Amino acid sequence: MSTACGRCKNAAKEVYKPPNLVVRWFFFGLNKMNENKIVELATEQALVLDCGKSLKSFKTAYTTYGKLNDAKDNAILICHALTGDQYVASNHPITKKEGWWSYIVGPEKPIDTNKFFVVCPNVIGGCMGSTGPKEINSETGKVYGTDFPVITIADMVRAQKLLIDYLGIEKIFCVTGGSMGGMLVLEWLSKFPEMVHSAIPIATATNHSAQNIALNELARQSIMADPNWNSGNYYNSDNKPLKGLSVARMAAHISYLSKDALHSKFGRNLQDKSSLDYSFDADFQIESYLRHQGFTFVDRFDANSYLYITRAMDYFDVSSSNDGSLIESFKNTVSKVLCISFTSDWLYPTSENKKIVKVFNTLGINVSFIEIETDGGHDSFLLEEPKLFEAMQGFIKSTYENL
Amino acid sequence: MSLINEKKDFKIIADLIPANSSVIDVGCNDGSLLEFLKEEKDINGRGMEIDQQKVQLCLSKGISVIEGDADLDLYDYPDNLFDYSILTYTLQATKSPKNVLSELVRISSKAIISFPNFGHWKIATSLLIKRKMPISEKLSYSWHETPNLHFCTINDFIDLCEEAGIRIEKQANLKTNRLNKFYGKNLLNSYFNEVGLFLVSKIKN
Repeated sequence: MSTACGRCKNAAKEVYKPPNLVVRWFFFGLNKMNENKIVELATEQALVLDCGKSLKSFKTAYTTYGKLNDAKDNAILICHALTGDQYVASNHPITKKEGWWSYIVGPEKPIDTNKFFVVCPNVIGGCMGSTGPKEINSETGKVYGTDFPVITIADMVRAQKLLIDYLGIEKIFCVTGGSMGGMLVLEWLSKFPEMVHSAIPIATATNHSAQNIALNELARQSIMADPNWNSGNYYNSDNKPLKGLSVARMAAHISYLSKDALHSKFGRNLQDKSSLDYSFDADFQIESYLRHQGFTFVDRFDANSYLYITRAMDYFDVSSSNDGSLIESFKNTVSKVLCISFTSDWLYPTSENKKIVKVFNTLGINVSFIEIETDGGHDSFLLEEPKLFEAMQGFIKSTYENL
Repeated sequence: MSLINEKKDFKIIADLIPANSSVIDVGCNDGSLLEFLKEEKDINGRGMEIDQQKVQLCLSKGISVIEGDADLDLYDYPDNLFDYSILTYTLQATKSPKNVLSELVRISSKAIISFPNFGHWKIATSLLIKRKMPISEKLSYSWHETPNLHFCTINDFIDLCEEAGIRIEKQANLKTNRLNKFYGKNLLNSYFNEVGLFLVSKIKN
């Protein structure tokens, strides 16, 4: 791991280094602000996970945009969703596509990189450079595979907290994210309330419903049913569980869209043909579209990571450490919060987001709520939705002005 | 929906509210009343608004606002969360004015309610002479496009408060800009006030 280049060693001296952290770090690529960075973090005691096991050291891959100001009051932490990563506003190294939230993050955008210091880490358990099942276990020198401990959303946030400490940020101006990212936001608000000035949880829930768990189980079973999965030991094989992962993605993708959007986009239209084939080829456009979603996904995602992260989402209940009491869980929260939901989102519907608003109202927390009308389904937070843009811009700008 | 835009009306509401109170403005429009009260009385304010464009405006001004409906969403607040709740020119547009009133005095110690008085002599004359639904500065919609569902007179409002176990503490006279102690129903009151503006609270058992 200690392959840091000379330039990085010099750069390391300029970075605030909390005394309780053992930090070894290195850059990939050029020393630009928005390049991917990987930092190895561990406390003097290891990171103790909810499952009881611990990680003696772990890596976090992250991107940053903009500069932390002298007052250190302009940091925005972006938490990505299940299949997201740290490439929030820069081109993805594998797909070459632009960042997943380029619509929201950038100069003059709601998360204005001219003004804010934006940090977006890849969660632990992920597969874009942070410690996860496809990385090497430093204790054994072998790939983790399914020996990687089962992690939780709370574990991901504990790991993110160490990164924020490492970056020298005592109070984050705003923590935001959609879907699983929203769960991380809620966890931040509950566990590190004094570190969060404001927060925007989007299209999320305080825990996973039976329906949410069922859909994730469907995805996991399709991965594990692929013979190439081989109990998670496929990293040295030429045959990876791509079929299983692809089907998992197809199933999940349906849950991200609304019935109306599917209908208006595809209807019962046929794919490059004028009549039915009477076969099991992709006759319909929707079939072809889903297959494409599945095929392209496997290039950038690891099957075991998919198992671990969906498990973390299923286990998520922000109130679990307070005997199920949401009121107890947020009683120390003092942040200004904006909750956002979408009318056509049936995966994390408005009712689930309103539950959060109700708890915050009950506690007298400074909460705002907006339900955006769209047929874009759960995926709306990733789409070019002008009302989302306007709400986030209005909230972030006015909150920072009144800091 | 709120027609209240005149600083005069804002001022009389501000006079009813002690400094540093916690306040919810239900049907807060673009948040200008909350802004005014923040400036004048340094209140801790929250808004609720049904129109999303106005919710966006509030967000851009830094006002904490819930996109919501007075008929449905007041139930989400616990008892006595606020010192004051405000409902300006919205009561007549609710589906259930009685429930909304009861919710307002449940979630706050005191409520400030204003509404166009359908008993005002101009309106009564319009109906009596012209036999036409009245259109005025305060009631600017034609009958077929009005969002207002439940018009009432000041006397109707007083009766409803009695029925719902709500005490009227003060009434404002918007012509003289004065707050008066409330002495009970009288005809002149309902004839000559274009707007009813009341400070009410729940009668404790």
